[in-house]
Amino acid sequence: MEEQVIEKKDIKSWIEGLFADYEVYAPVLDEKKGKVYKKVESTEDINLEFLNSKNSPKDIYFPQTERLFSFSRKDEMGLIPPHMDDKKKIVFGIRPCDAMAFTMLDKVFVSGENNDFYFIKRSENTLTIGIGCIKPDSTCFCKVVGGEPSSEEGLDILLIDTGKEYVAEPVTDKGKSLIEGSSFFKEATPENIRLKEEAITNANEKIQEFDISGLKERLDRGFDLPVWAKIHEKCVGCGICTFLCPTCHCFDILDEEGKEYGERIRIWDSCQFPLFTKHASGANPRPTGKERMRQRIMHKFKYFVENNDIFACVGCGRCVKYCPVNLDIREVLKSLAGDGGGKS
Amino acid sequence: MEDNKAEWEPKIVAFLCNWCSYAGADLAGVSRIQYPPNTRTIRVPCSGRVNPLFILKALQNGADGVLVSGCHPGDCHYLSGNYVARRKFAILKSLLKYIGIEEERVQFSWVSAAEGGKFAEVVNEVTKGVRRIGKATKLVKEIYNGN
Amino acid sequence: METNENEIRLTVKKLFDEDKIDILIGYSPGTLPLRTSPVFLRKEDDVEVLVWNSFCENTLSNYLKNYKDKRVGIVAKGCDSRLINLLLLESQVKKENLVVIGVPCRGVIDRKKIDKITGGMEVTGSEEKEDGILIFFDGTDKKVTKADILHDSCMICNYKNAVSSDIFIGEKEKEEKVDPYNKIREMEENSTDERWNYFNKEIEKCIRCYACRNVCPMCYCQECFVDCTDPEWFGKTAEIKDTKMFHIVRAYHMAGRCVDCGACVKACPMDVDLRFLTKKIEKDVLEFFAYEAGVKDDEPPPFTTFKPEDPQEFIR
Repeated sequence: MEEQVIEKKDIKSWIEGLFADYEVYAPVLDEKKGKVYKKVESTEDINLEFLNSKNSPKDIYFPQTERLFSFSRKDEMGLIPPHMDDKKKIVFGIRPCDAMAFTMLDKVFVSGENNDFYFIKRSENTLTIGIGCIKPDSTCFCKVVGGEPSSEEGLDILLIDTGKEYVAEPVTDKGKSLIEGSSFFKEATPENIRLKEEAITNANEKIQEFDISGLKERLDRGFDLPVWAKIHEKCVGCGICTFLCPTCHCFDILDEEGKEYGERIRIWDSCQFPLFTKHASGANPRPTGKERMRQRIMHKFKYFVENNDIFACVGCGRCVKYCPVNLDIREVLKSLAGDGGGKS
Repeated sequence: MEDNKAEWEPKIVAFLCNWCSYAGADLAGVSRIQYPPNTRTIRVPCSGRVNPLFILKALQNGADGVLVSGCHPGDCHYLSGNYVARRKFAILKSLLKYIGIEEERVQFSWVSAAEGGKFAEVVNEVTKGVRRIGKATKLVKEIYNGN
Repeated sequence: METNENEIRLTVKKLFDEDKIDILIGYSPGTLPLRTSPVFLRKEDDVEVLVWNSFCENTLSNYLKNYKDKRVGIVAKGCDSRLINLLLLESQVKKENLVVIGVPCRGVIDRKKIDKITGGMEVTGSEEKEDGILIFFDGTDKKVTKADILHDSCMICNYKNAVSSDIFIGEKEKEEKVDPYNKIREMEENSTDERWNYFNKEIEKCIRCYACRNVCPMCYCQECFVDCTDPEWFGKTAEIKDTKMFHIVRAYHMAGRCVDCGACVKACPMDVDLRFLTKKIEKDVLEFFAYEAGVKDDEPPPFTTFKPEDPQEFIR
């Protein structure tokens, strides 16, 4: 299918038409919470003014708190399956970096052998309609970690803003049929395509780049580098970076007990918390912030790469922007990749 | 709802200090003074032993009311336990009211070992108060109950 | 402003040269507009990285717990100096290990207020001027007066100068006493339902990242009640039924210990109004026990002591 065009004024009507069959999630400017991804009831709530959302949309696939199943304490092992969320969903207005993060999460939760039932159920039922970044933030660094502002990865449809219209690229079959089922789309003209290319080139120029080519080698022999002590020094050990991160996926599983019934729940956990690695004996193999910070960097830029051939970072810049002490992961990468790492 | 209300009996957790209020409750019983059966007593060595977390935990676990009772000021078995407790409770009580918890939910009293009558009266008043405001919901943590 | 910055650098250099300190906790330029970042200097490091301006929002005394056996110099605002007094009082730092470099503080800016001014557009640059802050966004620039973007805590701060310090830099800022509890009084006037709704609306935003706890100098427990697994005081989910308990108890633990430095609110990524709780407790502690945290370094904390005449109208 060729690229299509939809006029900007039609976009809300198009989305409105989807409400009948789908739950629509989109960026919303919440009066109190700021810009967040939320289920929207009306297209009026959707805010496409570009500054990326505060929270990443990962919780649509992987909620912060999830009931895995319930159990009865009355009869033996009376397992009660959860109410599975099998509604069809559309995530509209997602940025390419966040969509790329979905493919990353796929590697963790849908590995072939160990499939996460809950995650798959949600991701299978979800369509992603992304909008390319024509106005990236200064904290964006997707190009450094293998993304780009017009990346199609993880998307079903990619829209590029060309001023009056959006040029739509159907990426998957699901995306194609969604476009085919709508009368708002027209075949793109060569002029549309030219404008699209121009917008992409412009955006690409705006994204900052820095060299991390030395990173792998440094991390490979970097477990005991003295620089880790320096890097973590200002870190306060909160979970902002991990909780806002679109790719962080570590979780904890625990039971909550009532009088007659109980529940097994899954919650987000963070490698920055001491409890994350604390043993029942009280011993903690990652006793200080130094080891925990090292784990975060190593996991994203070494271990995950070794297992899956991609960084577990999409360069969305959330951790940069929201770190309370301005511990900038870009600086960390630069110092590790460059000569700031010290002699090993 | 109306039906439920008729059936509902408030559950009140009472933290009683070993030396005064617990003995006071005992005296009320021995003296055969009638008081409502809605309290569940937890004996503690001193009102100063009552960590505010105990109170909050009780409320989260579904207690409709919490009563903490200790020795009168000056009578503490450990000399100053109840004085220090009084400060903690003053702040807690005020904070809970401020965030919108009904004042009747968490109550405090001084009851000596000789005040069997006062103990019965306190339990009476506390139960009445909790009954008036109804079942606790605000801080209760609901866990799956089969529905 | 600049003169203070230089004086801080010279003072720190001198402290290192005279071998009075092993490490200095101060502010360095941030990597983003409107930001600075905590910096930890050793003897061999360049003191020229030190800055002092309206963007120094972090509460540095939070880091003292990491250097208990070192001789530490610290750049201290009014709030930090009060926190240091409290940490001394609670035996968390040793006086002989500490060199407090007091600075006069005109208050720090609130990035979230600037977000409102730019309509959410990204700020691409910032410059501090004598009479305000120049911010650059969306290809334009705008001068804002500091009063409009001052952090809420700073607006009602009564201790702009370090209350106690070993070295004081520059001239003391004029301190005009203001009533810090206006907002709390307004809130108290609201109905029970209004207060309950407000509390819930705020706490609902919490994602339980614990930034509020971790940036707080007074949260130094080896194991936080909320991390406790035996007993497990409260559930670990990010749902409001658990998070409200966390916030009630966190605030409660601040009784007589919070100086309203605002670190928790500045750190909160979800903009939860945490001062709504801590300020109320601060007010109660003052009204009930006539105690103001950290102002004096020899007054016992309110929960470790008592007076026979303490209020007890609420007790039957």
